[in-house]
Amino acid sequence: MPTAEELERRLLAGETLLAEGANHLLEVVGVLESYGEVLDAYSINLIYQAEQQFLNPFPVFKFLDGDLSPAKIWRHLIHDRLNFEYAEYCQKAMFWHGTGGLDAYLDSDTFSASCEAIIARKRARDPLLALLDPIFRDFLPELIRSAATTHALGQFWRVMSDLFIDLANAERSGEVQSIVDVVEFIKVGLVNAAGNPITYGVMVAGEHYWVLPPDAGLTFLADVAVPYVEAVFLRGMPFLGTVSFNAQAQQISPDQARFTYGALFADPLPSMGAGIPPSLLMQDMFRHLPEPLHAWYRDCGRGEGDVRVKICSSFQKSMFCVTNAAIAGTMPYSLTTQAPDEQRANKAYAAAWASRLVTARTDCLGAQGLD
Amino acid sequence: MSDSLPLPIQLVWLIPLYGFSGMVLSLPWASGWIKRNGPRPAAYLNLLVTLLAVLHGSWIMRLVQQGGPQHISFPWFEVADLQLRIGFDLSLTNLAAVELVTFLSLVAQVFALGYLDKEWSLARFYALVGFFEGALAGVVLSSNLLMSYFLLEMLTLSTYLLVGFWYAQPLVVTAARDAFLTKRVGDLLLLMGVVALSAWAGSMEFSDLYRWSAEAHADGRLSSLGATLLGLGLIAGPMGKCAQFPMHLWLDEAMEGPNPASILRNSVVVTAGALVLLKVMPLLRFSPVVNTVLLVVGAISAVAGGLVALAQVDLKRAFSYSTTSYLGLVFIAIALERPSLALLLLLAHGLAKALLFMSVGSVIATTNCQDLTELSGLGSRMPATTTAYLVAAAGLVGLLPLGCFWSFGLLVQSLAPVSPLFAAVFLITNLLTAVNLTRVFRSIFLGAPHPKTRRAPEVNWLMALPMVSLTVLVLLTPLLMQRIDPVPGIADFSWIVGLLLVGSGATGVVIGTMLPLDQFWSRSRLKPLRAIQDLLAADFYTERIYRATIVAFVAGLARATDWFDQIVVNGVVNGLGRLSIDSAENLKLSVSGQLQTYVLTVIAAIVLLLSGLSWLGQAGIS
Amino acid sequence: MPLLTLLVMVPIVGSFVLLLWPGSPPPLRMRNVTIVVLVFQLILSLVMAGLFDPAMPGMQLQELHNWVPNIGLNYSLGVDGLSLPLVLINAALTLVSAVITRDIDKRPRIYFAMLLLISGAVNGAFLAQNLLLFFLFYELELIPLWLLISVWGGSERAYAATKFLIFTAVSGVLILGAFLGLALLTGSVDFSLTPLDGERLAMGSQLVLLVALLIGFGIKIPLVPFHTWLPDAHTQASTPVSVLLAGVLLKLGTYGLLRFGLGLFPDAWALIAPWLAIWAAISVVYGSLAAIAQRDMKRMVAYSSVGHMGYILLAAAAATPVSMLGAVFQMVSHGLISALLFLLVGTVYRKTGTRDLDVLRGLLNPERGLPLTGSLMIVGVMASAGMPGMAGFISEFLVFRGSIVAFPVATLISMVASGLTAVYFLLLVNRAFFGRLAITPPSDPVADARLDIRLAAVAPRETFPALALSVAVVVLGLVPVVLGHFSEATTTALASGLGGVG
Repeated sequence: MPTAEELERRLLAGETLLAEGANHLLEVVGVLESYGEVLDAYSINLIYQAEQQFLNPFPVFKFLDGDLSPAKIWRHLIHDRLNFEYAEYCQKAMFWHGTGGLDAYLDSDTFSASCEAIIARKRARDPLLALLDPIFRDFLPELIRSAATTHALGQFWRVMSDLFIDLANAERSGEVQSIVDVVEFIKVGLVNAAGNPITYGVMVAGEHYWVLPPDAGLTFLADVAVPYVEAVFLRGMPFLGTVSFNAQAQQISPDQARFTYGALFADPLPSMGAGIPPSLLMQDMFRHLPEPLHAWYRDCGRGEGDVRVKICSSFQKSMFCVTNAAIAGTMPYSLTTQAPDEQRANKAYAAAWASRLVTARTDCLGAQGLD
Repeated sequence: MSDSLPLPIQLVWLIPLYGFSGMVLSLPWASGWIKRNGPRPAAYLNLLVTLLAVLHGSWIMRLVQQGGPQHISFPWFEVADLQLRIGFDLSLTNLAAVELVTFLSLVAQVFALGYLDKEWSLARFYALVGFFEGALAGVVLSSNLLMSYFLLEMLTLSTYLLVGFWYAQPLVVTAARDAFLTKRVGDLLLLMGVVALSAWAGSMEFSDLYRWSAEAHADGRLSSLGATLLGLGLIAGPMGKCAQFPMHLWLDEAMEGPNPASILRNSVVVTAGALVLLKVMPLLRFSPVVNTVLLVVGAISAVAGGLVALAQVDLKRAFSYSTTSYLGLVFIAIALERPSLALLLLLAHGLAKALLFMSVGSVIATTNCQDLTELSGLGSRMPATTTAYLVAAAGLVGLLPLGCFWSFGLLVQSLAPVSPLFAAVFLITNLLTAVNLTRVFRSIFLGAPHPKTRRAPEVNWLMALPMVSLTVLVLLTPLLMQRIDPVPGIADFSWIVGLLLVGSGATGVVIGTMLPLDQFWSRSRLKPLRAIQDLLAADFYTERIYRATIVAFVAGLARATDWFDQIVVNGVVNGLGRLSIDSAENLKLSVSGQLQTYVLTVIAAIVLLLSGLSWLGQAGIS
Repeated sequence: MPLLTLLVMVPIVGSFVLLLWPGSPPPLRMRNVTIVVLVFQLILSLVMAGLFDPAMPGMQLQELHNWVPNIGLNYSLGVDGLSLPLVLINAALTLVSAVITRDIDKRPRIYFAMLLLISGAVNGAFLAQNLLLFFLFYELELIPLWLLISVWGGSERAYAATKFLIFTAVSGVLILGAFLGLALLTGSVDFSLTPLDGERLAMGSQLVLLVALLIGFGIKIPLVPFHTWLPDAHTQASTPVSVLLAGVLLKLGTYGLLRFGLGLFPDAWALIAPWLAIWAAISVVYGSLAAIAQRDMKRMVAYSSVGHMGYILLAAAAATPVSMLGAVFQMVSHGLISALLFLLVGTVYRKTGTRDLDVLRGLLNPERGLPLTGSLMIVGVMASAGMPGMAGFISEFLVFRGSIVAFPVATLISMVASGLTAVYFLLLVNRAFFGRLAITPPSDPVADARLDIRLAAVAPRETFPALALSVAVVVLGLVPVVLGHFSEATTTALASGLGGVG
């Protein structure tokens, strides 16, 4: 496993964290393509939930995206569908860890004011909410905060989904030929989208209300992408299947900032076991595997038998690439700068990241392929 | 069994089978045979069969209300003088218990759909719950001791498997094992009782056993020592199932399992254990020792369980010890021959405790945390959860006119004249429970949010809906109890008793309100207080005592046996073997020979043998 | 049609066919021929069960030919409720052994021939109605088994095989001695089972002969302290051989004990029954305690065999109708359960290369571990621990229920030991199958949590035999009538022939 100094050196030298290699390229691009397809569906559903199922107490059909045809309901019943529960899980993680600009905005007075307006409108129509709101004052605002995170995550994944599909196309057209290219491609995509505004409005009883108004100035990279990386890639939430929640055992840190259960730290081996939520994502990606990668998986290890652990392992590599791109995209100054101040700032930034990543599952970075 | 019985009653054997069939139906998903689609159909199928069980049970209940209780039995295995049968006792009590079991199972299964929404092994979970439910339904309906034992053991197995659900989690590895072994001790003692009774009494039907025990006692066939040993064996099983001191450890360990299973375990499993105790109770009448043991165990469990619960920082454990405590009260009621009141208390406790554990599950699902010191300020944001907690707490404490208030009232009223000490135990337990519920309520729901509770939206509808339904049911419990116990009515106690109850409950609430709340993993600065705190938090060091005594004893014995086996027995053998080492070497050499050698060896051996025999035969003739 | 002769001869002839097969046929063909022969044997056994009249307590389908009359050796076969289930599980488990033999690279011809020879000899021993004939078959199975251990065993196989051979040879000598002694003392050279009657002898002579038989069969069962060959033989034997050894061959010992010890010397038996019960309890407790201390999964299962076979002695000592039926049940269920456990341990060993409980962890892992093997292992250990709904429970219940009237203390002690079964088997399951998948000692937790374990997958066809055995264990546990139906009349007669004790 690379040391912190080595990670810092790679970040500052513009080298990729993940070693170059044909297999790595196949894994990263392939798994990101399937991830892109899954994220597309997740994103559509999260936005649907936030807009159409807003404050619905019994969102029975929330995963159907409004399509109530018998065929769709049947497929839903036999669980022949994507596991949108995982999208909700990521949303919960992001909301619960609560870092960054979006989270700060959710505690602002402007937000409270718009909440009050929405609730007042909603209470007039809904006797249940009219009864509960005066007793449990924070109940509805908290649900609206949660819906706002849901919508923001949907918007974030919209961009990422398109980016990952584009990456796969670029690889097929020969534009992307190495891990360096992959990281660069993602970095450019992130930087281009960095300033995209994040907004969220709902229709309540025929009237439009802003939950995240444009003038709040929330943007893609700083207010959603960075908190997302923090919550899902780095911190994560403890898995019931690997960590005891027993308070006396004290296995879980009281300080969420010290959590290391995120995607970069997780152990791929127990995937699909009990109490491992990312299993849902692995299953979803398994259903969308591009053929070249699937063929390659069939040839190694247990073939189809342990394919989802292999997907998890490839996914971890690809997430290191995305993290790598995000770090590169958010470097304070250009890596080629000659100014000592700027170099120092870059160094401090890279060192901060390196010190966090050093305990991650960096052992996958150098390995060539799975076998 | 007559054929004229209505079909639903004749088909009563289906009721446990619904749960078991749920397990079988889940297998295609649980075994990973269906690979592309997710596991949810297994959950839906289990919900469906459980619903069938609820409906079938209520249908039978209606028929029994009209036509009176029934007893149905089928032969299972009848050999020599042994008659093993499958029997169902369709009394209103048993049917009400079946309804409680199946209904709570249904509610807990819906809750689990929400609680375990990101669980890929969902099918296995539902398979296990189906198994669990089937065994439970069978236990409460059973009309014979062997079948009760049979199903109680299955419950032990399913507890092991459910606690071991998250098998990769380090604490589960030991918790599942210890939970199984602790329960198994009770089961084994029960088996001893069952075997002895089967040998002495012949039949295993409870009604026959009651008759036999009366006769045997009357004509002196059953000595008092025999009766005592038998009784101790018989109560050991229920003691284990009801998590009574000193066999309460498993319930603590079982809290490592998924919360929906904890809902069932703390409500209906313990109830089933108590029902088995009720069924064997008429056999215990002839041994005062057994009765005393029951009383002592019950009283210790009630008070100590209540005290230990107070010192827990873990949300689930704070209430699992309270289960031990309440079942202690049930034991007292049963030992003092108040079976119908014990049943009322079981009902009130079962419903309220299930609701309490649902509320607890909601908190854990939202905050990823079950440490009381890290939870705070959820009250204003989680209406369903908070309401559920408050209603469940009201249902458990004798303060507001919900379930336990009336049960406690009746019990205190009826016990006070004969044994005021045990009436006092009820009041003390009431007080301790009130303290515990109040301190936990303050800790979780009041105050400013802590980091882990800063963002805490109410749980999804799949958890909220069953929780709200059960909340309504707990509020209606007094009506339910009134229907079950119409004469003389649940309010049949004096206002002094009522006042005492309200007084003890209110005192508990006041103490709970004044108690300093735990900060992050803090301990008291006062040394004696800290010692008591540690003693209670560690459950009187029961686990350590077990480790130092029973576990160390068995492990030491095992090591000694192994040593003896290796050094003495094997040593002697090897010593003798060395005498014939040459022949052994020769045999070894021949192994590497050809085909012919092998065949020759075989043939030579046979020929040698035959000629030897032939010679012997000649000698015999001549 | 001489059905019983066919049952003995089909496998033996099959064995010779394999030995004399011209050329050098590929191992797979050898295996297929063996399987065909064994399937035929199984069908014959089922036909026999179909023709068997369960209501009759005595010998049925008898065949009698004079062979070597001057030494009293008749070729006389017959089947009753005691031998019928054993013939059935012999056919079934030998078939399992052949099916699970997949990679025999060394001398497949001899291997499969020996397998068939053992099966035929065991059938012969179970069906023989003549003491000498029984003894002949009893010895006939010895050499092939010795070969199976010493040629296809593990690294210490020479030691284990020699130990096995010496022990079993002593066992044979004692049994033969007792048989001959019986003949000499009664002055008869007729070794047929039926007219033989030890009761005519003086009690002292009876006791001497019975003790010789007890030790002789006690070695085979094995009972403490004559058991030390068994753990060594098991650890060195390959999986199919262990299945056969535990599932079938040990039953020769208990069968002999019931048929000859109890059957020939009922008075002497009744006299020493209390001592036998104590011996049984010691054996049961000893086996269980020794199993707790084991770190090798296979040794643990082997010691558990020592414990569980002790129940049969307890049941035989009590000799009540229920306990005798319990003895038959315990023989069958121990056969099925121990075969299942050895099979699964064998799978673990084949995939991971180790059976060390200090090293194995997390094998339930669904993608990279052995999840189905693990699930069946849970079934197996629960059955062995006497969990209701499986064969172990009803057997133990019958044994305890039948014995408690005669020997309450020994029975209660044995029940405690049955609780210990749960202790060691849960240690096994929770250590090897729960936790994070790994096959190293957890000395370095950080590095250990990052190990990427690659084990070969268990193909569905590899699991099939274990699955079939599990189903049999559950069916027998839920519908014990299937077995009780065949054996009740015989065991009741056996018990009543004894009188007295019960």
